[in-house]
Formats: sequence, structure tokens, C-alpha cells
Amino acid sequence: MGHRIPPLVLLATLLAVFPSGAGAQSFLGYRALGLPVGAVEARAVALGNLGIGLPGVQINASDPASAAGVLFPTVSVSMQPTWGDFNLDGQTGTARTTRFPMLGIGYPVLSADGTITVSLSGHMEQRWAGERDRIVNLGGIDVPVNDRFETNGGSSVARVGWAQRLGDRFALGASLGTYIGRLDEDFERTLDSLVVGNDVRSYEENSSWRYGGYTFSAGFMADPHDLIHLAGAVEWSGDLTQKPRVATGEPGLSYSIPLRLSGGATGRLSQRLHINTSFVYQDWSVAQGFEDGVVSDEKLSYGAGLEMQLIRRETRSFPLRLGYRRSALPFGYRDQGAIETSWSLGLGVNLVEVEGVRFGWMDFAAERGTRMSAPLSENFWRATISLGISSS
Amino acid sequence: MIEGPNRAGRSGLAPIAALLLAACQESLPTAATDDLVRGGVAVEVILPFEDFGTRTRVFGGYGRASELGGGFIAHAFGPGTGGVDEEGLEAVTLLRFGRYPGFASVTDTTGTTRPDSSLTFLSGRIAARFDTLASVLPGPVEVTARAITEPWDGVSANWEYAIDTLDNHVLWSQPGGGVLEEIGSAVWDPATDGDSLHITVDSARVALWADTLNLARGVHLSTDHPGVRLQLRSALMWLETLPSINPDTLVEVLADTEATSFIYDPIPRAPDGSLRVGGAPAWRTVIDLDIPSTLNGPPDLCEVLGCPLEITDTHVSYAALQLTTHAESPAFAPSDTLTIDLRMVMVPDILPKSPLGPGTTGLAGIALAPQLFRPPAGQVVEVPMTTVVRDLLRGETTDGDPVSSTVALLSTFEPLSIEYASFEDAVGPGAPRLRMILNFSRGSGG
Repeated sequence: MGHRIPPLVLLATLLAVFPSGAGAQSFLGYRALGLPVGAVEARAVALGNLGIGLPGVQINASDPASAAGVLFPTVSVSMQPTWGDFNLDGQTGTARTTRFPMLGIGYPVLSADGTITVSLSGHMEQRWAGERDRIVNLGGIDVPVNDRFETNGGSSVARVGWAQRLGDRFALGASLGTYIGRLDEDFERTLDSLVVGNDVRSYEENSSWRYGGYTFSAGFMADPHDLIHLAGAVEWSGDLTQKPRVATGEPGLSYSIPLRLSGGATGRLSQRLHINTSFVYQDWSVAQGFEDGVVSDEKLSYGAGLEMQLIRRETRSFPLRLGYRRSALPFGYRDQGAIETSWSLGLGVNLVEVEGVRFGWMDFAAERGTRMSAPLSENFWRATISLGISSS
Repeated sequence: MIEGPNRAGRSGLAPIAALLLAACQESLPTAATDDLVRGGVAVEVILPFEDFGTRTRVFGGYGRASELGGGFIAHAFGPGTGGVDEEGLEAVTLLRFGRYPGFASVTDTTGTTRPDSSLTFLSGRIAARFDTLASVLPGPVEVTARAITEPWDGVSANWEYAIDTLDNHVLWSQPGGGVLEEIGSAVWDPATDGDSLHITVDSARVALWADTLNLARGVHLSTDHPGVRLQLRSALMWLETLPSINPDTLVEVLADTEATSFIYDPIPRAPDGSLRVGGAPAWRTVIDLDIPSTLNGPPDLCEVLGCPLEITDTHVSYAALQLTTHAESPAFAPSDTLTIDLRMVMVPDILPKSPLGPGTTGLAGIALAPQLFRPPAGQVVEVPMTTVVRDLLRGETTDGDPVSSTVALLSTFEPLSIEYASFEDAVGPGAPRLRMILNFSRGSGG
């Protein structure tokens, strides 16, 4: 059967090779490091989950112990198209993008009762553009100019981890990651050729940065009771560095990333109904390297959701999911905090499932959300599609 | 269980791929606020010559009059100063017609068109076409055609020499074409004749010129009308023939034109106190540049960004050489638009024969209207040199090729015309200046 896996592996590889497709588009990305990207799959999105505390076979970048349940080599990949609109101080517009927030691979080492994990996930993204028409005076002549500043890119995290099963109900996990990614900034000033003539060229200034730094996370998962699944994680990061990609003598920047604490729980209310909740606590107000007024005071993100097995067959099931999530964003548009909230609905297609263990699945989630940080408000529709295969 | 996931994988790829394609259209959120675009500083800087240049030189002798492809006819035109004697410009056009056609298509008595190789040449007609805009004349002008009687070279002939090649110099027996024999004359009146003039050549002359080994054959076109300068675009000789297959019909055929050139006197002297571009042979002005990489002004720029301010190629949105027109010799003053170009001199050490870099002003070059050079002149014209300044600040071209800080101003084609453009040199109030539009970003985004 091995010869039939490559197409999916190929797709996953392509998604990993072209991280430029990752793009959250928000004017909140204009401050500091940008807009956080949730490293979550469609199942978690649909449940309003923040990426921790969901039972079952999965590779989850923010839940290092979750891969302990992987029994066969597993690949999962997610894709996330977004359609949004904004209102910025009375200006309105739209945006559209597609990102690939998560690629995970798990390879169980049965002899050690553990699983090696490799993942590439989004972290922060900065994709927006600003334009301004101005008048400049050149030699006594007023010349209309158009200024445009565009920024593209963001940071991601590549992780390698290990999840260790300790008995049937407990597991520990740890991962070591490195920040990667780039940021391209382009400024272009176009002078009105009707005034200055065609020989005058646009002024362009480009800069390109690369991100670097390290992160370490550790966590646990536990099933203290047949009806309860728990997980927790702590993530420590060294400074996130931003250096010019081409040595220009320009000094690099360095930002401290605050400790990230997360936890989640899932409870089984009936044979077909599960409830889950999760939280993330990260106090950006202690972070160093940012200009005054950039960092939001918001610290706590949380979410909750319900999962109901609509149809359940011997080897297949189709769960329906509903969730709500409130995320604290680290950087506001001006000096006020930024909050993202969303309601989500999702459907799972577990094409092959044996005794609650998924071997092939497709998950879909649709979100309707808002981001608020005066004077900016944004609304978005976001779809998440995840595909996974677990097979010997 | 084993096959299931793979079926899932296969079936899952289709919607994923479809969504991938559907979602590939990206559009960034874009807004117009000062928060997002802080903008930059745009400033116009005009540098005096001493701040961007070190030396100017004028070289002449590029190309030959015969390469122009046309001719000039002048008599006592533009007498005065500036390299021309008091008598003014004298110019004559020299033509040499070549082999006569060996056959002609003739309609015989039955109405059938057939080639006839047995032709009898009876007489000829020189048809000259003038540039009505570039020609300077007060009214109808009589143009005289004379036959040249001394061997001459259609490429190298000039006022003094009939042949002036590297290893062969033969003087005319008298300057200006040697001994001549009258062919005929005609009056050209642009108001009634358009741009054409016709002069008849008798049968004896036509028969004489059939000998293509005779290097003395040729036509000398001149005028005795003072204050006239005519620009000849082309000249042809039509031959009237009597075909053998239909002797009742006369047919005109065209003789080859082997050479079209002109000779003139005096040759303008090298300029003193001015720069020169154009002419035939052509003049070039060479300027040694020293583009500054830092600025200490103007004050409004220093106030915003601080001085000294380093400038790089990316800051230069526009750069142009500002030249002040100079009214020099009326004999060679432009009567029509001249086009000039600015190119790098790649090996300045071997001037005047240095190879040049590519043109920087496009195929059309910079068009200079003739009125810019009419007294008192003093008009400022701009020759864009953004690419040159950017390359010099960068230290290489965008393709990584070497650059030269010496540039040449020259006509787009050499020679382009007997006329040339004159500009004030580097000394005095009309010295060349460098105008630049510089842009600096003060940083954007959050």
C-alpha cells in the first residue's frame, strides 16, 4: 500500500515547501510581529479549541503529548482560506487569502512506546498594504504622488518532538522548535507622470528580513477517567530575532516572547456527545523589544465546543461540531487591546475508524469571526480543511 | 482498513486541490491612512557643474558627410562668427550615377509587355528632392548642375580633396569640386514645385556617363544664390530610352545612384567657450562626472533627514543634465529638430576613439527644436541621465556590467546633419547643471 500514500505526502510536502501561501490578512498585522496564526486543524477550529486537550490520533504542534496516541505513521495537513472585510476609521475594504496553518508528521517507535513528531506551523503573520495620495513640492511645482507600503510574510515554527506513553492513561511530550520565516517590506512612491514626465521613475525601497530563534515546549495528556481527557503544555521561547536577509549594515531586531501556558479538557457526555474546553495564557505585557503602546494587555484566550457523532458505523463516523473561541491578540491597532472572537461549525468525515481510532479523515470547519481594536474592526469567514492519514 | 485510508487520501485530494486553486487569488487589505504609510521625503536638487563634473571636452570628426545619405547646397550662408568666415558657408552636393539598366519592360505593338534589352538612351533628367522644412531659402532658388571632370571618391571627398583616404590624397584642381562643365540649371520654388527639382541632362553627357570605369563622372549641384542652405534628401537620374520592340514609345528607366555626398567650406573650428553636438562629420561633447554620494543640502532636506546625507541609486528617481543653449555660427545653426543622446564613454583613456555604452535616452533621443539655438539662445534643455547617475552611484549597471564616469553627448545618429547644437560650457552662468529628484523614505508601517 505504500505506493498509494505518496500523493498525499507530496501534497503535504508542497504545502510545507511553499509557506508563502500562509497568510493571515489583517491590519492588526501592522504592529510589531503581526497577527497570531493558530496552529490548529479543522477539528479543533470547529470545536473552538485552542489546540490542546482533544483526544484521539493527531499531530498537534501546541499539544506536545498528543502524538502519544499515534499507532501508525501519520500525516496531517490543513488548509485555511479566509474572506474578510474591514472598517478602519470609516474606510472599508475586503481581503482574501489562503494559509496552511499546520503540517504534522508522526512516526511511532513502538519499541520505545513513543512517537517522533515533526511539524511546521504558523506563528505570526504580517500581510497588509497601505496607500496614501499626497502632494509634494518639487522645484516650486506641486506634484501629486502615490505612496504605497506593502508587507508580506511572517514567522512560522518548525518543531521536532517526542511523545512518550506512560501506561494506558498518561503521556508526556516535548518538542524543540525554531522560528523561521521572512518578512518583505516594499515602499513605492509614484510621481504623477503628467506633471513630472515619463522619465521620472518610481521610488522603491525594499527590505527583507528573516526570522530566527528557538522555542521549547513540554506537556502532558491524561485520561484520569474513561469520560475525561486532560492536557496541558508550557512553551518557552528565546528571543525572536529579525535580521536583514541581505547584510546591509542595518541592525537586526530582537523580541522576547512570553511564556505560553495552555490547557484543555474533553469530557464525554454520552456515547455520541463530547464537550471540550481549552485556554491559553500568555502575558505579552512583559515582553521586551516592542515600542510603547504596541503590546496589548489582553492575556487570556479560551474556547469551548461540542462534538456529536451524527452517524456512526462500524468503520466510519461523521461527527458534527460546534464551537466558540475568544482569542487575545498580542498587538492592538493603536493603544487598545485586540480581541478575536468566532463561532464555528464543522463536520468530520472519519473514513476509516476502528474502535475510536481514526486512520483516515477529512475535517471541515467554517468560522464567522470578528476582530476588534479601535478604530479597526474586521469580520471574516474562514474555512479550514484538514486531511489526515494514519497507516502502517 | 489498510485500503480505506488510501481511498480517503485519493478522494480527499480532489476537493483539497479544488479549494487550493479556488483560493489562490489573494488580495491584501489595503487602506489609506497615515498610520500605515508614513510616506517619505521628495526633494529636487540642482547641483552646479563643479559639484558633479570635473571637465568637459569637445571632439570632432566622427563619421563622414557621405554617410548622411543626402546633401547640402549653400552659398554665402550665415556669414559671421563662430568658426565660419565672414563669407559664410559654401556647400555643394556631389552625385555619381552608376550602371544604366540593361533592360526595360516595354509594351509592344500588340499590347504585350515584354523585357527589352536593346535600349537606346536618349537623354536624362536629374530629379532632386529637398527637405522643405530644413532648407533655408528666402524664395525661389536657382540650382545649377555641373559635371565633375576629375576623378573623385564618393566616400572621402571634401572641399579640398577629391580623394582623401588613409593612403591616397588627391586635391581638387581647385577647391570645391575642381574644373566643372555646365549641365543645366533649374529654379526650385517650394511654393509651386513642392519638394522636387528637375534638371535635364543631354544625350552626350548620358552617353559619356555610361562608362562606369570613368571615375571622374559625377554631378556637382550648387547655387549662386547667397544666404541659401538647401538640404537634399535624395537625387535620382531618370534616363529616357527608346526601346527596340516599340520604337514609337519612349520609356524612362532609373540609373543606379552610386554616391551621394556633399562638401562644404569652411569646416567649423573647434569651439572655444561652448560645447558642441552634431554636425557632419560629427562633434561630441565629453563630460567627466563625479557624482557625489553625499549631500549637504538643500536646507529643507537637511532639516528633515540630516546632513551630510548619503544617497544611493535607489534614491534617485530622476536625474537630468541641464544644458544652456548657445547661439554660435548661424551657418551651422539648426534649422530643423536635432536629436541627441547621452552615452557612457567606456574607455576614456583612448578618446576620441573610445567605445560607447548603450544609449540612455531611447531610440528617439532628446529632440531639440531649432528655435532653442536662435539668438540670444540661453534656453535650458534637459537630457535625462537617470540610468547613468544610478549606475554610477551603484558602481555597476543593473546587469552587473562596469560603468564609466565619463559620458558623451552626441547626436542619435552620426552624422545626423550638417547642423550642430551648441551649449554653454562649464565656465560661466550657463554651465551644465545636474537636476535630480531624490526620494527618501522615513520608514513605514508599525
